Amino acid sequence: MRHQHLAGRLLAGVLVVVATVGLAGCGTDDQALPDNQIGADPPRPVGMQDPAVIPTGPAASSGSCNPRASLRPSGALPRPRQMPSGTAMAKIVQRGRLIVGVDQNNYQFGFRDPLTGQLTGFDVDIAREIARGLFGDPGRIQFRAISSADRITVVKDGTVDMVVRTMTMNCERWQEVNFSTEYFTAGQRVLVTRGSGVQAIDDLRGKKVCAAAGSTSIRNIAEKGTVPVSVVNWTDCLVLLQQNQVVAVSTDDSILVGLAAQDPNTEVVGPRFSDEPYGVAISRESPELVQFVNGVLAKIRSDGTWTRLYTRWLTSLGPAPAPPVARYRD
Amino acid sequence: MGSHGSAVAVPPGRLAVPSPPRPPDLLRRMTTPLRRTPGRFTAILAGVVVLGLLTGVVAFVGVRQRADLVRGVTARSGELAVAAQSLYRALSDADATAASAFLSNGLEPPALRDRYQRDLADAASALTVVSAAISDDSRGAAAVARITARLPVYSGLVETARTYNRQGLPLGVAYLQEASGLMRDELLPAAQELYGTASTELDEARDRAAGFPWVAVLLAVLTLAALVLTQVHLTRRTNRLLNVGLLVGTGATILLVAWLTGSALVAAGNLRDSRDEGSAQVNLLAEARIAGLQARADEALTLVARGNGTAFEENYGVVMEQLAGADGSGGLLARAREAAPDDTTRQAVEAAIARSKEWSAAHRNVRTLDDSGEYAKAVAATVGTGEQTTAAIFNQFDEALALAITHNGDRFEREAVSAGRALTGVDIGIVGLSLVLLVGAAVGMQRRIVEYR
Repeated sequence: MRHQHLAGRLLAGVLVVVATVGLAGCGTDDQALPDNQIGADPPRPVGMQDPAVIPTGPAASSGSCNPRASLRPSGALPRPRQMPSGTAMAKIVQRGRLIVGVDQNNYQFGFRDPLTGQLTGFDVDIAREIARGLFGDPGRIQFRAISSADRITVVKDGTVDMVVRTMTMNCERWQEVNFSTEYFTAGQRVLVTRGSGVQAIDDLRGKKVCAAAGSTSIRNIAEKGTVPVSVVNWTDCLVLLQQNQVVAVSTDDSILVGLAAQDPNTEVVGPRFSDEPYGVAISRESPELVQFVNGVLAKIRSDGTWTRLYTRWLTSLGPAPAPPVARYRD
Repeated sequence: MGSHGSAVAVPPGRLAVPSPPRPPDLLRRMTTPLRRTPGRFTAILAGVVVLGLLTGVVAFVGVRQRADLVRGVTARSGELAVAAQSLYRALSDADATAASAFLSNGLEPPALRDRYQRDLADAASALTVVSAAISDDSRGAAAVARITARLPVYSGLVETARTYNRQGLPLGVAYLQEASGLMRDELLPAAQELYGTASTELDEARDRAAGFPWVAVLLAVLTLAALVLTQVHLTRRTNRLLNVGLLVGTGATILLVAWLTGSALVAAGNLRDSRDEGSAQVNLLAEARIAGLQARADEALTLVARGNGTAFEENYGVVMEQLAGADGSGGLLARAREAAPDDTTRQAVEAAIARSKEWSAAHRNVRTLDDSGEYAKAVAATVGTGEQTTAAIFNQFDEALALAITHNGDRFEREAVSAGRALTGVDIGIVGLSLVLLVGAAVGMQRRIVEYR
């Protein structure tokens, strides 16, 4: 009797142990569902900075010279392929092609036609006119796609004969290279969504405005009281405008025209609030080439070619104005 | 035996004392039966039965849990790691393919478009597997949520880029770069984190499954010791050398210890092999394959950026160095070759190393062409149809590594399944042996107890 009691108690103890272990194996799963809140922020272009870092350092000095004044052509243009011997033009003709540094990312000025893969645009066509003047054939040309930072280097080290790449003439750059006469007058303006009611930069006080990082445009729009947002490439600004992440894009109209041409729902508005004369950069060692290019530019201003090119590429900025007036040092 | 005959059971009268006993009295009365031989035998029997029962139960539950853990290694953690790796690869491949497709003047080659869509489908199906399998509270769960939320945004940007590209607008490039940025800054890091979490979970599950059943084995050894001591005791008290019941019980216990230990060691060995020769290889190979995909994306994006692609080209250099070392014969690929567990893997990795060298040479050619203004030729050398294009070389590279990954994935599965097989039937065996042990002990002791009645 007594032994059965003992065994029974022990058995009960073992059963309790078994039951506990068994139950632990199949615990009920009554956890709440996970709470993973994800923000719905729009995606950002790589390298976007909001707010932008405002570049410091002195603004481009404007006073000490007249950046528009170039070298006067000497006499009439030589006939194609018949360049005076010993000149830079003669060397180019002998080589058989003109080598020009251009942009391949500035829609309407210098870019690759996606259908043909060929470089094209306003700058590229100006360069082709120079090739036509040298060879009588606009196709005798080799383009080198160069970055903005390389523009002066490639001219100085002779990698290219000239650079036609939305390049503003200023006194600092005149110290490094020669420039042709002005072939386009650019200035900073504003690109906004059509119907936004923004008329000029002054309407954008306290609003987000996009510009490329490190550009003078950033400094200008910061001075106008806007909130600058910077990106790496100008096209990223149009992406931000389309995604409603900024209210406007502001830079030279030569760039804005390329953005406006890609989205018919945007427009370039307001007056120019900076003055950027564009010229062809050429080595200081060949002033005769500068004179030759100035001769070609004088020809295309007067024979209607300039207006035709403007109309072909730049109508987003409005109807073609009169060509920029050539100014010479003497 | 005869001398003990007088000491029979306790007189019933003494049990029926009504007055509440004092503690020393109670203790004495409770232990009194144990000082008599049959009472002692009964207590010993009870002890052995309890130990045997406990051993059986602990060993049984332990083996069942271990079998579940091993099944979890293959069915859950293994699948989770495979799905997480597949997600990471599919996303990287989408990034590389979208960029390559972009280079072909607006009209992307149908094969690249198909591959991109395949990648998105693979990523989505891997994502459903991963989100079902990942534990809710892990960091992986947050990564799953991020990928789920951002993947549609990514594909939207790619389609926008594609539309603009077909219209010939540079805006397409900007959207593609934004898409690629989203992929690289948010999606791929999340996928990488997820893959890391899944691999850790797999390792932990494997460690748990491969642990030695110390408690069960210790209990079994205690039971064994108790049985041996009982027999020694019985032999002294009864002058009988053998007790068949107890001997059978002892034999069953020895078998139980051996089986428990052996199956655990074999399973642990298989699990170790499944890691060393299976999943560790897969991890290394997958890392190399994904590095290759990123380098391919960088190569294409450098050209897509048209002169603004320096950052991508620099990244290509960094990733290629991780992949193949500074001189083309180091990095992840060299590590994978050293660690290759068999000829199939080694040959595949060596093929990948050879392709990576060809690729680097072809890439230098692409850069020379692009830097000298021959953009169209550079594009043709990157996404063209010839044998010497970086596209053709890259595809061979990718296929070699894919082959090695599949091969080692199969290996992992084989070893993990073998580990499960080592434990098959052990639970039933334990029940059987425990029963034999209990019945043997009970029958053996009962005979002796009865002899005193």
